Amino acid sequence: MSAMKDSGPLDFSAERVLAKEFLANFADANGEAKYLNILQEVANRRVRAVQIDLEDVFNYKDLDEDFLRRITENTRRYIGIFADAIDELIPEPTEAFIDDDHDILMTQRSDDGPDTVDNPDPRQRMPPEIKRYFEVYIRASSKGRPFTIREVKASYIGQLVRISGIVTRCSDVKPLMQVAVYTCEDCGFEIYQEVTARVFMPLFECPSQRCRTNQTKGNLILQLRASKFLKFQEAKLQELAEHVPKGHIPRTMTVHLRGELTRKVAPGDVVELSGIFLPIPYTGFRAMRAGLVADTFLEAMSITHFKKKYEEYELRGDEEELIARLAEDGDIYNKLARSLAPEIFGHEDIKKALLLLLVGAPHRKLKDGMKIRGDLHICLMGDPGVAKSQLLKHIINVAPRGVYTTGKGSSGVGLTAAVQKDPVTNEMVLEGGALVLADMGICAIDEFDKMEESDRTAIHEVMEQQTVSIAKAGITTSLNARTAVLAAANPAWGRYDLRRTPAENINLPPALLSRFDLLWLILDRADMDNDLEMARHVVFVHQNRESPALGFTPLESSVLRAYISAARRLSPYVPKDLEEYIASAYSSIRQEEAKSNTPHSYTTVRTLLSILRISAALARLRFSETVAQSDVDEALRLMQMSKFSLYSDDRQKSGLDAISDIYSILRDEAARTNKMDVSYAHALNWISRKGYSEAQLKECLEEYAALNVWQIHPHTFDIRFIDA
Amino acid sequence: MSLPSSVYLGPQIMTINKREIEIQRENAAMVGLPYDFLVNPLGAVRSTFEKAISSGSNPASFDGKDWGALQPFQHFLFDQNGLSKVPILNASSAKWLQPNTLVRFRGMIQDMLGNEFYVGAYKDGSTWKTTKFMDSSQCPTGFSPDMRIWERRVLYCVPVPGQNSWTESSRLGESNNSAEGTSENRQKRCRMDENGVDHMDILAPSDELQNSSSGKKQKDEQLSPCSQNISTMATSRSTACNTARDFLPCIVKIYDTAESELKLNDVFEFIGVVTLDTELKVDKDDYDEFSNGLSEDLSVQFPPDMVPRLHCVIHRKLGVHDFLHTCHVLEPTTHRIKEIRTALLNHLTIALGNDAVAAQYLLLHLLSKVHARVDSMAVGKLSLNLTGFNKESMSIFGNQLRLTVKNLLPFTEYIPLTVEYLNTASLAPKKDYEINRLVPGVLQLAEGSHLMIDETQLEVGTLSLLGVENARLLKNLMELQKVEYDFKYYKMDMTTDVQLLILSEGKSNILPADLVVPFQPSALGSTAITDMDALEAWRWYLSNVRLLPHSIESEIQRVVENDLVAAKQADRNLGSQDLSRLLTIGRLICASYGETSLSLEHWQMVKELERLRRERLR
Repeated sequence: MSAMKDSGPLDFSAERVLAKEFLANFADANGEAKYLNILQEVANRRVRAVQIDLEDVFNYKDLDEDFLRRITENTRRYIGIFADAIDELIPEPTEAFIDDDHDILMTQRSDDGPDTVDNPDPRQRMPPEIKRYFEVYIRASSKGRPFTIREVKASYIGQLVRISGIVTRCSDVKPLMQVAVYTCEDCGFEIYQEVTARVFMPLFECPSQRCRTNQTKGNLILQLRASKFLKFQEAKLQELAEHVPKGHIPRTMTVHLRGELTRKVAPGDVVELSGIFLPIPYTGFRAMRAGLVADTFLEAMSITHFKKKYEEYELRGDEEELIARLAEDGDIYNKLARSLAPEIFGHEDIKKALLLLLVGAPHRKLKDGMKIRGDLHICLMGDPGVAKSQLLKHIINVAPRGVYTTGKGSSGVGLTAAVQKDPVTNEMVLEGGALVLADMGICAIDEFDKMEESDRTAIHEVMEQQTVSIAKAGITTSLNARTAVLAAANPAWGRYDLRRTPAENINLPPALLSRFDLLWLILDRADMDNDLEMARHVVFVHQNRESPALGFTPLESSVLRAYISAARRLSPYVPKDLEEYIASAYSSIRQEEAKSNTPHSYTTVRTLLSILRISAALARLRFSETVAQSDVDEALRLMQMSKFSLYSDDRQKSGLDAISDIYSILRDEAARTNKMDVSYAHALNWISRKGYSEAQLKECLEEYAALNVWQIHPHTFDIRFIDA
Repeated sequence: MSLPSSVYLGPQIMTINKREIEIQRENAAMVGLPYDFLVNPLGAVRSTFEKAISSGSNPASFDGKDWGALQPFQHFLFDQNGLSKVPILNASSAKWLQPNTLVRFRGMIQDMLGNEFYVGAYKDGSTWKTTKFMDSSQCPTGFSPDMRIWERRVLYCVPVPGQNSWTESSRLGESNNSAEGTSENRQKRCRMDENGVDHMDILAPSDELQNSSSGKKQKDEQLSPCSQNISTMATSRSTACNTARDFLPCIVKIYDTAESELKLNDVFEFIGVVTLDTELKVDKDDYDEFSNGLSEDLSVQFPPDMVPRLHCVIHRKLGVHDFLHTCHVLEPTTHRIKEIRTALLNHLTIALGNDAVAAQYLLLHLLSKVHARVDSMAVGKLSLNLTGFNKESMSIFGNQLRLTVKNLLPFTEYIPLTVEYLNTASLAPKKDYEINRLVPGVLQLAEGSHLMIDETQLEVGTLSLLGVENARLLKNLMELQKVEYDFKYYKMDMTTDVQLLILSEGKSNILPADLVVPFQPSALGSTAITDMDALEAWRWYLSNVRLLPHSIESEIQRVVENDLVAAKQADRNLGSQDLSRLLTIGRLICASYGETSLSLEHWQMVKELERLRRERLR
C-alpha cells in the first residue's frame, strides 16, 4: 500500500512491458533463455509452475532497481502482471498432447468468441485465469538470513518475505474456486465470476445484456465442471526453538499453499518459505466481533526444506573469511579442541578426540563395492559425575545433525528402526530410530552399559556396516545409518574399582569394544590440586555469580560448525612414502602386544583403519589434501593416550619408570634406523607416540647426558649417542 | 493501602470505594471534565491523540510509539496516588465493573498468543481517529490508504497459581466484593471454604484441613490433562473455576513495549481499559466452516463474557513482596531483623514438634532463591527433603507444616505424589496445536513459588510412559530449576525459581533434594497464630531478607576454600554441587541475620549445622 503511494499511480501496462522484456530477454549464467524455456515446457503441458526468481531479476542485464523494489513491495499485484506478460509470450506447443475436458471446453468457448468480444459486460468476458494452464510464483532472493516469524512486523504487509520455521499443522488439500462459471437458464450465456477471497457471494441473476434488456432475471446455474479450481492447503508454521528469546513462547503463522505448492510440507518439517505477507479481513459476523483486527497469513511462493547436514552447510561471506584466518593460525587444532565444552575443565586429549569425531574421515568405497566407514566411534567411560553426559550433550549441540539418547531409555528398536502400523491407514510403515535419524551425523548414546544385551547386537551392524537391516512384518530392508557413535558408559560396579583389571571394570564385550576407534577412561582421582581448583571455582561462582574467566576466548559453536563443515569437504589421501611408516608403526604395536604377557587390547586390522581414519581427520583439520607424518604421529599418540587412560596403573607396576622407558625407546629407535644421531624433533615424535610429555623427555636427556650415554646439542637439543 | 486491619473492614471500604466511583462519574458528567481517568480512560487517550494530531504530528509516525497518552496516566496513577482508586479486576468485581473503564489486573503470564494487527488510526472524513486501547470500532471495513495498521501483543494471564487468600484480603479487598446481594455472600463463603486458610481459620487450623485438602485435590484435577476441544475446555475450565474458585483469566493486550520486558510466568500488574463484552456472544453455528479447523479465533476459545480483555496502558512487574500488606512498614535494623528471626524460628520449631535442627533448615529453605545461573547450575537454590515421616506423623506435622508455609508465603502449591498422580498428571505445560494454546501444567509456577511434595503416599507400582516423564521433570526441576515445556516438535527449557520441600519416609530418590534432614519431632505444639502483627512481620522478613546482597571477603574466602578442600579430601564422594550447597547455606544464614557479608561466625554455624545433620543421617 505504501509502495503505491511512494511512486504515485502506477502504469500497470508499462509494468507488464517491463515484465515481458525481462522474461523474454533474461539469460542465465549459461546464456540460456531460462524463462522462455520454461514457457515452452508450460506450453507443452509438462510443467505448471513458472517460478520467477527475484535473484534473476537482480542479475538481469537491464536491472531496474525500482522495478525490483516494486515487485518485492507489492508482490501480489506483480504475480498478475507477470501472468499477463506470460499470456502474451506463451509459444505454441511443440509437442502434441491429448486434449482433456478443459481443452474441449476452451475450444467451445473460443467458438463463441465473437459474441463475447462484442459484449462490454466484464462478467461475460472470459477471465484470463480460466485459460491459463500455468501458475506464477515469485521467489524471494535466497541471499541473507531469512526472517524469524517474530521479525515479520506490520510494515511488511503486502511484501515478499522469507521466513524459516517448523511446520506444526497441515490441513487437507481442498479445492479452492478461482473462477466460478455459471450458465444462464434463459439466455444460455456463460457468466464468469473471479473469486479472489476464500468466501464469495454466488451470483443468482444473469447480468448479461440480453437478460437485462428482456428483464427476465435469468436464473444462473453454477457449472462446477467448467469452473476453475486451485489446490489449496493451509499450514501452520512455528518459530524454531533457537529463534525464540528466553522466556517466550514460539510464535506461529498461518501459511496458505496453493496449486503446485500443496502437499510439499508435513508436520515436523523444518522449512524456509518465501511468500507474501497478507491480511485477511474478517468477513460477515466475525468482522463485527473483531472490529478492525486483521488476521494475517503468508501466501507461500516457494518452499525449501532445511537439511541440516554438514555437506549442505552454506558458508556465509564473513564466515569464510574467519575460517581462512583461523586456518592460517597454526594452533587451530588445540584452539578448536579447547572450544568444545569450554566450561568443562581439563580433559584436553578427550576434547581433541571428540573434535576428530566431529570432523571424521572420508568414506571410502573400494572397487569391489566394499565400503570403509569414515566415521569415528568413541567411547567415554568413567566414574559418575565426571561430566561425561555434559560432554555428550555439548557435542550434539555443535553437530548440525545429532541425536542424543540413553541406552536405558531406548530399546533396540528405538535405536535402529521399527515397523509400525499407521493408525489411520492401517499400513505398515517403517520408522527410523535414533541411529537412522542421525544418518550423516552423530549419535550420542549415554549409559551405553545399561543397554540390554539384545539391543546391543543391533549396534554392531551400525558401527561397522553403517546400515540398519530390518526384517519384520513382511518388510525386509536396510536403512542407511552413516553415523558416528559417541557412547558414554559407567564402569561395571558403578565406580571404577582399581583393584580389578580394566577388562573387568569395562562391562562391554570385546567385539563391541574393538569397534570403537578410541576408548577413554575418565577417573575421579584424589588430587589436592584438583580439589583446590574445584573449591576455588565454587567459591568464585558464589561470589561473582558467573564462571571464572577461561583464560582464552572459546570459539562460538557456529564458528566451530562452519570450520568443521569446511574441513569435511576435503578427502585427504595417504601419500606413498607414508605407507611404510604407518605399516611399521602398526607392526610395532602388534609386536609389543605379543611381547606382553597380559595383552590389554586386541590390535587388529581395525586398529590400522582407526589410525588411518584419525590421521585423515587431522589432515582435514589442516585443510590439507594429503596426510602428513605429523598427523599419523598425533593419531598414534591419541591412541596411546587412550590406552594409558585405561592401563596407566599397569605401567607403573611394570617397574620401568618413565625416564628409563624414554631412554629405551630412543635407543631402540636409533638402533632400528642404524644411526647415531637423533634429532630432537624425531625424539619428541617417538616418545609422544608412547604417551610421554616433552618435560619428561628433557629430564631424560639431562639425566642420561650426565651418565655420558649421549651428548646433547646445547641449542637444538639433538642427540648423539656415544658409542660404547 | 494504609489500612492496618483492612481484613475486617473490607466490605465496607469496598462499598465506599464503589460509591466514590459513582460520585466521580456524576461529577464528571456535571462539571464536564474532558475525561476522567477511572471512568473514561479512552477519553484521555482520544484527547491526547487529538492534541498530538493538532500539533502537526503525522499519525504514520505513531506506529509502535506512544504519542503522549501514557504520561497523563502515569501522572494520575503515581503522582496523584490514583493507583489505589483503580478497581482490581477479579471474578467478583468482573460482575459490576463497567466496560471501558480503567481497571488493574494482577496475574501471571501463562501463555503468549502472538501479535495482533489492527487498524490503529484511520481517517474518518477529514479527521484522524485512533482505535488504540479499544476492542472494536464502528469504522467501515475495507482497506483504504488512510489506514495505519499497527500491532499489539496478546497475552493470556491467569491469577498466580497457588496464590493464598491472605494476599488478597487486605489490598485486593478494597474492591474485591461489592457486598451486594446474597449471591455475592454465598460466593465469598464458598471461596473461603475452598481455600481453607483465611485469617479467621488460622486460629483453628485443624478444622479446615479436611476441606482444604479436598479443595486442593479438586484443583489438581482441574489441572490434569485437558487437551480436548478448546471450547469445552475453555468453558468447563472457566465455568468450573468461576463457580468453584476465584479464577478469572484475562487476555491482556500490550502496546508498544519491548518484547524482552514481559516474559512467560512473570507476575505483573496491568493497568488498562477493560472490555467485558457480554452482548457479542459467539454463535456456534456461525463459526465458519471454511476454516478447515485450522483457524483459532480468540473469541471462540475465550468467550468474551468469560474472559475479559484488558488493553494495557501501564504495566509493572510484581515481586513476592508486592503481595504483602504494605501497611506494615518496618525499619530494617539488624536488631529488629534478628528479633523477627528468633520469633519465626521459634514458630517453625513448634510447627516441627520441637525439632530445632529441622526448623533451622526450614528457615534457610524458605529464604532460598535462585540468584544466578552459572553454566547449568542454579546458584542459590536449596531444596529440602525432610525424611522420617509416616502416615501418622504426616497427618499431624505434614498438615501443620503445610498450613504454616501457606500462611507465610504468598504462593504455595502442594503435590501429593502417588503412582496414580505421576501417571496421570500433566506436570509440564504442553503446546496443543489443535487449539494453538499452551496447556498449563502443574509445574508452570511463578518465580518465588513454594512447592511442597508429599512422597509419603507413594506406594509400589508401575509407572507409565507419562509417569516416567513426570518423574524426570520433577528431578530436573530439583537439580536444575528448569522445566521442559513440550512443544511437540521440540522441547524448550524454561528456567524457574521454586522452593521445593519434600516430605518422605526415607531419603527420596525420585526427588534428590539438596538437603536431606531426618525429621525428629519430640513434642506436639499448637501453631495457632494469635499475633497478626508478628505474622505480618514474618511475611515481610521472608520476602525481603532473601533479596539482600551477599559477598565473601578475601580473608574468609581463604578459610572457606581450605575447609572445602578438607571436606573433599575427607569424603571423595563430595562433588562440586555439595560444595556449592555449603556456600549457599552460608549465604542464607548470613542473610537470615540481615547481614550481607559472610563472617567466620556464620561459616562456623554452617559447619556445625551440617555436622548435626550428618550425625542424624548416620
